Amino acid sequence: MEATQATPVKYDMDVVRWFTIAAVIYAVVGTLIGVYVASELAFPFLNFDIPEITFGRLRPLHTNAVIFAFGGCMLMATGFYIVQRTGATKLWSNSLAWFTFYGWNLIIVLAVITLPLGLSEGKEYAELPWWVDIMIAVVWLSYGFNYIMTIGIRKTSHIYVSNWFTMGMIVMITYLHVVNSLAIPVDWATSYSIYSGVQDAMIQWWWGHNAVGFYLTGGFLGIMYYFIPKQSGRPVFSYRLSVLHFWTLTFGYVWLGAHHLQYTALPDWTGSLGAAVSLAMIIPSWGGAMNGMMTLSGAWDKLRTDYILRFLVTAMAFYAMSTFDGPVMAIKSVNALSHYTDWTVGHVHAGALGWMSMISFGAIYHMVKKLWNTEMYSDKLVNVHFWVALIGATTYVVAMWVSGIMQGLMWRDYDEFGTLTYTFVESVSAMHPYYVMRAVGGAIFNLGTWIMLFNVVMTVRQAGAVRGVNAVAAKA
Amino acid sequence: MSDHDKIYSTKFQDSIERSTLLMFVLTAIAVAVGGIVEIVPLFYLPNTGMCQNDPTCNGTSHKDLQGNAIPMDKIVWNPTTSAHKTLADWQPGDGVRPYTALETAGRQVYIREGCFLCHSQMIRPFRDEKDRYGHYSIAEESMYDHTYQWGSKRTGPDIARVGGKYSDEWHRKHLKYPRDVVPESVMPNFFFLDKNPIDKVKTVKTLEVMTKMPFNPVPKTIYTDAYIAGAAAELEGKTEMDGVIAYLQSLGNHVKFEEGVNYRD
Amino acid sequence: MSDNHNSAGGVPTTGHLWDDDLADYINQPPKWWMLGLTASALWVVIYWIMYPAIPLAINGTYFKGFGLPGSGQWTAIKELAADQAELDAVRQPYEDKIKTMTPAAILADDKLSEYVTRSGKVLFSDNCAACHGQNGVGTIQAGKFAVREQGLMAPVLLDDDWLYGGKIDTLYETIANGRQGMMVAHKDSLTAQQIDDVAKYVKAMSDAGKAAADGDAAVAAGKKVFAESDCTACHGADAKGIQAMGSANLTDKIWRFDGSLEGIKQTITYGVNSGDANARVAIMPVWLKKDEQGHVVSKLDETAIKKLAVYVYKFGGGQKEDVAAAPVAAPAEAAPAPEAK
Ligand code: HEC
Ligand code: HEC
Ligand code: HEC
Ligand code: HEM
Ligand code: HEM
Ligand SMILES: [Ca+2]
Ligand SMILES: [Ca+2]
Ligand SMILES: [Cu+2]
Repeated sequence: MEATQATPVKYDMDVVRWFTIAAVIYAVVGTLIGVYVASELAFPFLNFDIPEITFGRLRPLHTNAVIFAFGGCMLMATGFYIVQRTGATKLWSNSLAWFTFYGWNLIIVLAVITLPLGLSEGKEYAELPWWVDIMIAVVWLSYGFNYIMTIGIRKTSHIYVSNWFTMGMIVMITYLHVVNSLAIPVDWATSYSIYSGVQDAMIQWWWGHNAVGFYLTGGFLGIMYYFIPKQSGRPVFSYRLSVLHFWTLTFGYVWLGAHHLQYTALPDWTGSLGAAVSLAMIIPSWGGAMNGMMTLSGAWDKLRTDYILRFLVTAMAFYAMSTFDGPVMAIKSVNALSHYTDWTVGHVHAGALGWMSMISFGAIYHMVKKLWNTEMYSDKLVNVHFWVALIGATTYVVAMWVSGIMQGLMWRDYDEFGTLTYTFVESVSAMHPYYVMRAVGGAIFNLGTWIMLFNVVMTVRQAGAVRGVNAVAAKA
Repeated sequence: MSDHDKIYSTKFQDSIERSTLLMFVLTAIAVAVGGIVEIVPLFYLPNTGMCQNDPTCNGTSHKDLQGNAIPMDKIVWNPTTSAHKTLADWQPGDGVRPYTALETAGRQVYIREGCFLCHSQMIRPFRDEKDRYGHYSIAEESMYDHTYQWGSKRTGPDIARVGGKYSDEWHRKHLKYPRDVVPESVMPNFFFLDKNPIDKVKTVKTLEVMTKMPFNPVPKTIYTDAYIAGAAAELEGKTEMDGVIAYLQSLGNHVKFEEGVNYRD
Repeated sequence: MSDNHNSAGGVPTTGHLWDDDLADYINQPPKWWMLGLTASALWVVIYWIMYPAIPLAINGTYFKGFGLPGSGQWTAIKELAADQAELDAVRQPYEDKIKTMTPAAILADDKLSEYVTRSGKVLFSDNCAACHGQNGVGTIQAGKFAVREQGLMAPVLLDDDWLYGGKIDTLYETIANGRQGMMVAHKDSLTAQQIDDVAKYVKAMSDAGKAAADGDAAVAAGKKVFAESDCTACHGADAKGIQAMGSANLTDKIWRFDGSLEGIKQTITYGVNSGDANARVAIMPVWLKKDEQGHVVSKLDETAIKKLAVYVYKFGGGQKEDVAAAPVAAPAEAAPAPEAK
């Protein structure tokens, strides 16, 4: 019989606690850098003529900080948390998990050092130098191996749905990282991709898209499938939907990369191939969103009192929104307009702020209470964080949608004489108000993360007195 | 038999959910398919020179207005058939060529400073991009770009064909303090490039590495031993600014495009 | 616990249980969703066979698709051709007219000159603004932002101060053939003292006006140098410049280069385009180049240059009197000015 334990299992939760704290800190730092780069585009003097903080070097630091530091620690915290609890077992190796923790954070420190120094391989989301790439592979495998082995030693007969998604992510990210990072070093700082031109472009966006699809989506769906039922105290709406959601997404998402390359120098077939599957991806994605939302049906009243649930539900709404926005952008005629514009950035942050961050915040609050076996220092502040995050994210996304569409329309506009209406710089100055608005929205969102940091620190301090040393009994 | 042994999906799905190994293997297969289908065929494209050394695949797939295949060496510079035999002699229109030592150094700076985060280098076949930037880009034009630099965002304009558009002096001024020449610009000041000497050792090594790439290496007939040996001298006294400007000036004028020809099929 | 059905609404769970209370209902996915899933799969297949989407793995070939009903096979280039044709249909009547008309005649035709202003904007921004600034405001003189360096200075085109003249045909000539005003270096022909003196005089002419400078005893030495050296040969006895050679007017407050005393001394000492290493550089590129057969080989052709001439003229500084006498016939080939090296 599954999970029926005579005595509560002792879990390895110390490493989870540290990953959680790290995720909270990186959420603050990553979005703060985001606010700074956003401000640089609005007010270029903020580059301050310091090479290390010019936009071109700081932007990768922002993406790496939010994706790999915040997102990564989030995935590792929740991954280790969920795999133990749903498998009713300790980690396969607690020390390997600590290796993962120190390794991953070392990589983040190296990113903070190398990116401002300008050590970039020139591939988006894969900027880090070759020797850091090797470290990433090793640490990632230590996480993946430990995770999968822990599934292997689970006490339950079936593998819980969250773990399917996380396992899918682990496998895919391993493929992607290894293949996309293959490069020949010139010296310790610099290396060049072994691929070039169109082949490199396709491999880069196979990586780029699926880093989004599996890391920022698949992995976080694993979070969703655990924390929504847990927090609402209700079973997952539909088991069959989970199964279909998982396999269609896992098989289908991989094909989408080419939608980043429509109308480029790749042969026509690649763009069409990516576009067709992208549009089809609405249904599997919405299946997932619905499975999350419907899990709450009949318990909507809880939203009035349960602020954590608010984060989780809002995340599902943004997930549904960005998985609608994305497929629409993949349509040829829409992509012709949206590609290269802020629309893409708006879409990214609808996913990043609305979906991936919101679900993380919900999960963090849930976990902090369980991990430190206490209540939040202030539930009110959780609610304040929720509203601040929602307002910030909405402001950001709306600003970018408007500016993106405007940009696209200005670039292609012809007057009645058949001549281009706007020069490029006119579009640059037209963006200014929206860049300011984005920076403000981002600052509001960032404020929320400070509130969370404060609340979590106070909670941990308040719980400090009663906290066990190495393991805390799992509390039902 | 208790309820939970009943299967609500399929027997196969149920066995997957019971087996770590099975789930691992099947997931690993499921996520591999799409990538293989999209990526592998691109390694057989004749028009990026991926089959340079394959005698059965000579020539591009481009056809001129009469329907005749345009010979490969009209698109990709081949020093053995071209009237211009060395990188120094190469003229715009001779076909796609790899970068000179100075341009290579500049390209490294371009990557380092993250220019690709604001500038695309990929002109799409749209009339407005034609009016604004010039002829649409073709695959061959980036075949020597190890780590392609197409970009995904146009905070600044596309610069795939910026070569020859402005004087060196304009670039120097613009790169140092963009708002001195374009008041509305949001581009950072790159004044410091003028102070940094080019890293000669790194650049020479880069040239060597480019000849050793498993895909689209620079032929040794272009980066000859003599050329690589002479590169350091060529870079003597040059700054990173000189490099970036040389790189920018080299963009986009390699191929002589004929009006009306379809270069994408 | 093993039979946890958590049966809200009477729906049972699968019976599996994790972490004390995690379970799955056995609800079916909604009908619309299942239909959607089937439709999506169908959609993908239909799209793949209609559009080019299937690689054939060998030699870069691929299945080009059956095409869309009514419009045949889709390719990105076909799409471009159709869009371009639409545009050409709008432009062609104007372009055809412009081909046969002089810049002056274009200027006189309201509709055409409006067309030219519109199409000139992007032409100018793409080709000229680099040196002359957006809308011809100049880059250095724009004055809005601190100027850190000298160099790369092209004249403001917005004002009515012209080195070579602001008549429409002159503008055409300037643009087609380029300009490279030359002032010799004086470092050998004049002493440092003389240069110092004449510079003070030149500055005084600008600051106070020529009459006042001439009467100012403090700069009398400079006045003498100016009159006796070669200055008047180029700048005229009145120091107002000679448009035929593009020499600057020295009596106004408009400075091509650096109007400080030091700057003026530098211009005089090393000259302009004089070949001296420290000379000021002022090269207006040649925009119209032809090969032996007379084919245009430059980026801009005659039509584009006509447009630019009209465009620059319409900044407001153009000199009007020649509009009235505009001949409608095609212009005689602009007299070739000395080619820029
Ligand atoms: C913050 C974004 C940003 C970064 C980073 C950036 N640029 Fe720009 N760039 C712009 C903008 C905006 C413009 C258009 C306005 C202007 O001309 O300054 C521009 C214009 C240009 C142009 C003129 C293009 C044309 O056709 O008019 C060149 C060349 C250029 N940049 C090169 C570079 C190089 C080289 C780098 C890196 C060393 C770089 N840029 C980094 C934003 C950026
Ligand atoms: C490389 C920089 C540069 C570019 C690009 C450039 N110009 Fe010039 N232009 C100059 C310089 C320098 C002069 C002054 C030449 C002299 O002093 O002899 C000049 C002079 C002129 C003049 C004469 C002004 C007068 O006072 O008589 C006109 C008109 C003009 N340019 C128009 C244009 C147009 C139209 C374009 C675009 C097709 C253009 N320029 C592009 C540098 C440039
Ligand atoms: C060979 C003909 C020639 C001679 C001789 C000559 N100049 Fe000039 N000068 C020019 C031309 C042409 C220009 C404008 C260059 C340009 O704008 O491209 C000029 C520009 C100048 C300027 C810069 C004006 C400004 O707006 O920045 C000064 C000052 C000047 N001359 C002073 C003198 C003095 C003083 C002498 C005599 C010692 C002299 N020039 C002799 C041709 C000449
Ligand atoms: C306060 C919140 C944030 C602000 C103000 C912010 C700001 C920015 C800015 C200014 C850019 C550059 C856009 C451009 O080049 O025009 C950017 C890019 C990006 N950000 Fe954020 N960001 C924030 C949070 C996040 C979070 C939480 C994520 C999580 C994943 C994220 C992921 C990304 C990604 C993936 C890109 C690259 C987008 C692209 O290349 O199209 N951001 N962000
Ligand atoms: C079915 C779901 C989705 C589809 C079909 C989709 C589609 C797209 C498309 C078409 C683009 C623009 C490509 C371009 O023109 O350059 C894009 C960019 C992007 N999307 Fe999505 N998207 C989906 C979901 C998401 C989600 C949930 C996120 C969450 C974080 C996300 C993150 C991104 C990022 C980071 C980029 C920017 C890539 C870059 O240019 O740097 N997407 N997506
Ligand atoms: Ca991007
Ligand atoms: Ca003037
Ligand atoms: Cu994508």
